[in-house]
Amino acid sequence: MGKLKDILSPFTAWGGVIKDPVTIKNPIGRPAAPRYRGFHKNEVDVCIGCGSCEAICENEAIDLVPVEGIKAKDGDSGLRPMVDYGRCCWCALCVDVCTTGSLTLSDEYTWVSENADEFRYIPGLDKKDWDKNENGWKKPEPNYEFYSLDRVKMPELHAQERGQSFIEFITGYSKQQAELEADRCVECGICTSACPAHMGIPEYIKAIRNNDLEEGLRILYETNPLPEICGRICTHKCESVCTMGHKGDPISIRWLKRYIADQNPSEKYKEILNAENLVDNGKKIAIIGAGPAGLSTAYYLKLMGYQCTIFEKLPEAGGMMRYGIPEYRLPYDQIDKDVNYILSLGVEIKYNVNIGTDITLEDLGKDFDAVFAGTGLHLGRSTRVPGSDNKNVYFATDLLREISLGQEVPLTEKIVVIGGGNVAMDITRSLARLQNIKYGKVDILATCLESEDIMPADREEVVEAREELAIVDPGWGPKEIETENEKIKGLHVVKCLSVFDENKAFNPKFDEENKKFFVADMIVESIGQGMDLSYLSDEFKENLRFSNRGRIEVDDYFQSGIDWLFVGGDIIQGSDVIHGIANGHKAAIGIDNFLMKK
Amino acid sequence: MKNLIERLHIKYSLTDIVNQRDNFVYLTIRKENAIDLVTYLKDYEGFSHFVLLSCVDWIEDGKFQLSYFLNQPNKKFDIAIRTMIDRENAEMQSSHHLWKHIETYQRELREMYGINFPKNPRIEENFILEGWDEIPPMRREFDTKRYSEKTFFPREGRKTYDPATYMKDKLYPNAPITAKVNKKDE
Repeated sequence: MGKLKDILSPFTAWGGVIKDPVTIKNPIGRPAAPRYRGFHKNEVDVCIGCGSCEAICENEAIDLVPVEGIKAKDGDSGLRPMVDYGRCCWCALCVDVCTTGSLTLSDEYTWVSENADEFRYIPGLDKKDWDKNENGWKKPEPNYEFYSLDRVKMPELHAQERGQSFIEFITGYSKQQAELEADRCVECGICTSACPAHMGIPEYIKAIRNNDLEEGLRILYETNPLPEICGRICTHKCESVCTMGHKGDPISIRWLKRYIADQNPSEKYKEILNAENLVDNGKKIAIIGAGPAGLSTAYYLKLMGYQCTIFEKLPEAGGMMRYGIPEYRLPYDQIDKDVNYILSLGVEIKYNVNIGTDITLEDLGKDFDAVFAGTGLHLGRSTRVPGSDNKNVYFATDLLREISLGQEVPLTEKIVVIGGGNVAMDITRSLARLQNIKYGKVDILATCLESEDIMPADREEVVEAREELAIVDPGWGPKEIETENEKIKGLHVVKCLSVFDENKAFNPKFDEENKKFFVADMIVESIGQGMDLSYLSDEFKENLRFSNRGRIEVDDYFQSGIDWLFVGGDIIQGSDVIHGIANGHKAAIGIDNFLMKK
Repeated sequence: MKNLIERLHIKYSLTDIVNQRDNFVYLTIRKENAIDLVTYLKDYEGFSHFVLLSCVDWIEDGKFQLSYFLNQPNKKFDIAIRTMIDRENAEMQSSHHLWKHIETYQRELREMYGINFPKNPRIEENFILEGWDEIPPMRREFDTKRYSEKTFFPREGRKTYDPATYMKDKLYPNAPITAKVNKKDE
């Protein structure tokens, strides 16, 4: 039963019928004011379906829906906003929050239809008469933002200061800086799919905002047991798709991760991560290589109850993270913090063990229930130009490893590095530091086939190398290393016009007339790395499947043709720490599934 | 106009002056003197047009802010008189005798915020809400969403997708996104 008031109120309204109307006739045809807030428009090619419009809508008038012809991919959810005009109040908060600027309101305010369902449509896809209207509400530019477009600047040492030593030069965010940066995140989660490990990025950024860094650490360890490391040197694919990057700087996701890891003391990890009383299921797994893939596999297997033994060729753990990445980018004590926590759970590492000579892979197969090999790409590759066999021509990977081992590396006053990737920048900047220490000046030049705009190195690496007084001169192809009496005179190069052909295959084209000569007395090659699979016997290899490019073929869970052998990391996916970590996690699941079925 | 503002300041002890634009100023005054000031501006300073009366709910301070917008057509100048009144038992002296249409504004504020203007004609009558038995809807403690969920039925056929979940389903359905942990029974 309704209340009496409810029953009577319709009749009170009838009272108005006999009075003169106070409204005027609907002024149809009168143009709206230039900034009128009418029906929505959306540039669907610019929109990435981040859902910020839906999140801010006070009336729940917006749904994110899949649409014909747009597929989910890195940086685009594949969804687009659909507006319900039964609820929209034209407040335009959706326009004002839009991170790509695709969503606007037209100045059209009249629309008659007898079909109520028509008043729900996908702007930009369901064609409307007002799609081309210039007038209407747009986010006013500039300085009308709900969030800062600029990232909080990361404090770092000045080039002159950092160029003198291998001290870490990125100093890390303070609490205030981290919270300010975290505050820029709109929590859309577009980043999560681009991250190879699919880390819970919006969730851990939210933990920073809530000042709950223990929760932040728990979120990190769900998918990544090396957060101190990744917080410093991750290739941050997440940031390249960040929705904030469309109109401003992407969120400093990597530095925020580092902030969480830095703020949690290692002695509290076990308690925070609730890693006491793990089951021991009696099954034993051997892992070859204590790099990111091997460590990640060991960590996730250990949580599931497996006994894990890592066999490492070098005297310390970390693989390329320790022996490839210079200390000024990733200090050794930070590697130790991540590694020691994994060891504290009961994972064992046997150092200085060479598989193939000290123990054979076949033996591991017999002694353990399964084996994971993540042996990395540690061999240098040569340009094979005339003169490259000279004894003063070195591989970057060898020199970086020797620097990490504390050995004295060859050094001269005038060095040329061939290569434009991150490893090339690492060796350039490391040798520049050594030159500074030994000679008090820097004279090193890095050159590569790729022109400046397509150099494979991270942009900041190139910028920072130049700040540290190294010369980077890209866009040249090495022709010949000139020598005289076994002494290097320098490198002849010719202009590289293009690196890839129309089929995107590596097929550089040169202008032989446009030449240059870089004077040098030492040359370092850094044009890619190869894998050392010498631990696989010939007989063993016959039972494995290899791709055309010589990579071991594995299934989705990194299981090879030999069922107890799982292979992952750089030798499967190419050199990248976060891919290695993701491989390791998935391989751990694969090994668990395999052994549970047995 | 600068002169006028200075004179008003002395005469009415204004508590705040904000020069919004060259031809528009906000003056804040104590509740007791607000209608006096409005009357003075109308009768002696040529502010013959009453533009609007509005309200802001400063719930944290326990106050409503009323703003009387006046226009001086000859000098093309606007003044808004602001005053704060208590939120509890909110009441303000009526000014409907100055301009007829203030009646309507005051009825609206009575309905939307629950502010009483004694002696305003038809103040007790429904304004636009009929059969309303909730608290006044423009008060900030009014939960619009809860009200609409209680009152209206949801539209048929609406469905929304979370971008991150949708991308996982489409792009990496089998990737582990949490760590599997086996612990001893404690």
